[in-house]
Amino acid sequence: MVKLPLQGIRVCDLTWIIAGPTATRVLADFGADVIRVEHGQAVDAIRLGRPIVGETPTLNNSGFFNYINRNKRSILLNVRHPDGYGLLRQLIAVSDVVVENFSSGVMESWGLGYDDLREIREDIIYCSVSGFGHSGRDREYTTWGPTAQALSGLTMMSGLPGIQPAGWGYSYMDHTAGYYAASAIMMALYHRKLTGEGQQIDMAQVEAGIVLTGPAFLDAMVNGRSWRREGLPPGNRAWQPEVAPHNTYPCAGEDRWLALAVMNDAEWQALVRAMDEPDWATDKCFATNAGRLEHQDELDTHIADWTRPQEDYALMTLLQAAGVRAGVVQKASDRFERDPQLASRGWWHHLPHAELGNCEYDGVAPRLSGTPGELRTGSPLLGEHTHEVMREILGLDDEAIASNEAAGVFM
Amino acid sequence: MSGPLTGLRVIEFCDEPGQLAGKLLADMGADVIKVEPPEGSSARAIGPFVKDIPGPDRSLNFWYYNTNKRSVVLDVETSTGDRDLARRLCEQADIVIEDRTPGIMQPLGLAYAGLVDAAPGLVYCSITPFGQDGPWAQFRTSDLVSLALGGPMAMNGYDPEDAPGAPPIHGNGDQAYNTACHAAMHGIMAALLERLETGRGQHVDCSMHEALSCTTEVGMPYWLYARQDVIRQTGRHAAAVRTERWMYRAADGRDVLIFGVGRDNASWAKIKQWMQEHGFGQQFDEERFDDPLARQPARGTAEAREIMQTLASFIGEMPAEEIYRGGQERDQAWGIVLAPDETVHDQHWWDRGFFVHVSGEGVDAPVPMPGAPYIFSATPWELRRPAPKLGEHTGEVLAELRST
Repeated sequence: MVKLPLQGIRVCDLTWIIAGPTATRVLADFGADVIRVEHGQAVDAIRLGRPIVGETPTLNNSGFFNYINRNKRSILLNVRHPDGYGLLRQLIAVSDVVVENFSSGVMESWGLGYDDLREIREDIIYCSVSGFGHSGRDREYTTWGPTAQALSGLTMMSGLPGIQPAGWGYSYMDHTAGYYAASAIMMALYHRKLTGEGQQIDMAQVEAGIVLTGPAFLDAMVNGRSWRREGLPPGNRAWQPEVAPHNTYPCAGEDRWLALAVMNDAEWQALVRAMDEPDWATDKCFATNAGRLEHQDELDTHIADWTRPQEDYALMTLLQAAGVRAGVVQKASDRFERDPQLASRGWWHHLPHAELGNCEYDGVAPRLSGTPGELRTGSPLLGEHTHEVMREILGLDDEAIASNEAAGVFM
Repeated sequence: MSGPLTGLRVIEFCDEPGQLAGKLLADMGADVIKVEPPEGSSARAIGPFVKDIPGPDRSLNFWYYNTNKRSVVLDVETSTGDRDLARRLCEQADIVIEDRTPGIMQPLGLAYAGLVDAAPGLVYCSITPFGQDGPWAQFRTSDLVSLALGGPMAMNGYDPEDAPGAPPIHGNGDQAYNTACHAAMHGIMAALLERLETGRGQHVDCSMHEALSCTTEVGMPYWLYARQDVIRQTGRHAAAVRTERWMYRAADGRDVLIFGVGRDNASWAKIKQWMQEHGFGQQFDEERFDDPLARQPARGTAEAREIMQTLASFIGEMPAEEIYRGGQERDQAWGIVLAPDETVHDQHWWDRGFFVHVSGEGVDAPVPMPGAPYIFSATPWELRRPAPKLGEHTGEVLAELRST
């Protein structure tokens, strides 16, 4: 068996909802032993998250939870019980990484701020993911993905001009804050392996969002142009580089769309040939990018008339063969059922789950030739590994486990 | 103090799709050498430009995504001498990142297979639209096209009454490229950690399409477990069924984002009192509003509808800033829909030292720019130098190469 890149790294995972568990999903995919510490009194809301399989939530039948918590273990620990709290500290002492995404201040209130953690384990890597970070005047403010998207500018950067923004139809910044946290933890691990030094990583979800707006932000600082102005956001037209055509066009069927981006005159000529050189397209006004931008309404109308009766995938194939950047707006069903690229690269995986049956999963996005990430287990049932972890990692014997169980420590 | 990647040498052959990966490495201390053709990276031709005057050193896109890098001009396409220099740079490096169409690097002798014998410890990351193989490997994309195929776009859009017949909408800011680079970072860091154990490098095949396809939250679970596609809605999560709105216009014309109202009874009491002080929601004292589940928008209850309608009227009479801060002070995770540049006015980010100042051609004084996505206590993010001018470090880097 190939050794995975993070094999031997233990993560004490105090995260919940999406951003934190996304970070530990990445670490688990690459082989880290991720132990989710869960609390029966404050259960991860995603364990109740739809879609669920069956009529009523059981805490173990959420497809959504399963999707982001594969490869991890789960223990139930009542940290309000002194013995539970003691066991948590013991777990931290034998972990390389502690990661959490509580509101700022929660860990300190448990006596588990970074200074406390260092006393438990000197070289610990402690990563917190909160809305506003652990410093600054508004550190007690809280976010969910949509809040962070709004406050960072990302929401406003998605939409049609003249009406409310469309924003992001999901918590893009939960995924992305989790991705940054995973990178940060691996960088800190790298530094620790070289020097023996651990450290604290303080992430603010909103800052990670602002990082994704750089050129738009700089346009205002350098040129004095805010995105809060007429004409922005530009729908699916291009902000920068300023090119046309660049839009979505309707295809045959209900709610079927093709995205198309022409970046230069050569690609425009290729599109014209692919359309069989209709009279309108050979008009001089469309010959240059400047002309196409100036007559963009007319241009988009003509192209939409051409695409509307056609089947989207056939059109994409035709245009790609001609060297035109074009792609179907794929829904989840399209990616799973029709996407030959994902299928041919073996993107979809299957793993059994006690309550969900045989489940389908995404693969691991970056593919490492020598030590690729892998899917080993589905998401853990609530507390599935409590006894196993207590026995194997913390060295409790059967008697100690039974007495803790009886005392309500594992709940 | 310096970043955790200090001492690592990276050779970058990237334009728009991969340049963020190089920045993320450089900003954490790596010495990233960007190899550019004589005309410069295509990102140098992307606006907006300083004072709208194009020029290789005036692109704000290039400024942002190329901080802390060095620039070397080598004509690897046509000059065998330059190609040889590039090859030697790669062989002496720890990491190579490239974003060329699969197959382009092989004849140049700069693909992983051509370098691995001389440099077995090399971590070589290819960031491509669809990965190194498969029926779409040679397909061409843009950020828009990748967001369409990868799935994020289908989840963003409008309620039919807001924009009849509107298509799915893409978020701006090169988010497909960014997402690919986030995945690339995971691959590179995992490979570096593995290399510390074994001394061996490896190839990281990073497909933008795959990186995006696992970044659509409930979209994919809804298909996998309920065989249902979620529907897109104005300014809020796509869902299996229509849900209450989250985005409301305040008295000053700005939008606020209301993500949940009084999720627990303690915060509900605060928010209720606040509205009632302003003459709204006297009926909220009725017992039927005491159930937290009944108050949550996604559940479709009459109470939730009534709360959101009342809140909308309340918001309509208040400035956005007051709603945002008033809500947060009452334990509500609310926000203002800000323009990206408006974040600069929020003192909280300055408290944290988030914004840095950057200078470059055509500006008289340094301007603020977004800084670190993470604060490291021992090995911090650092802006050591602005994006390089085209070829600024050619002489310096080649002299270093000759001396090794």
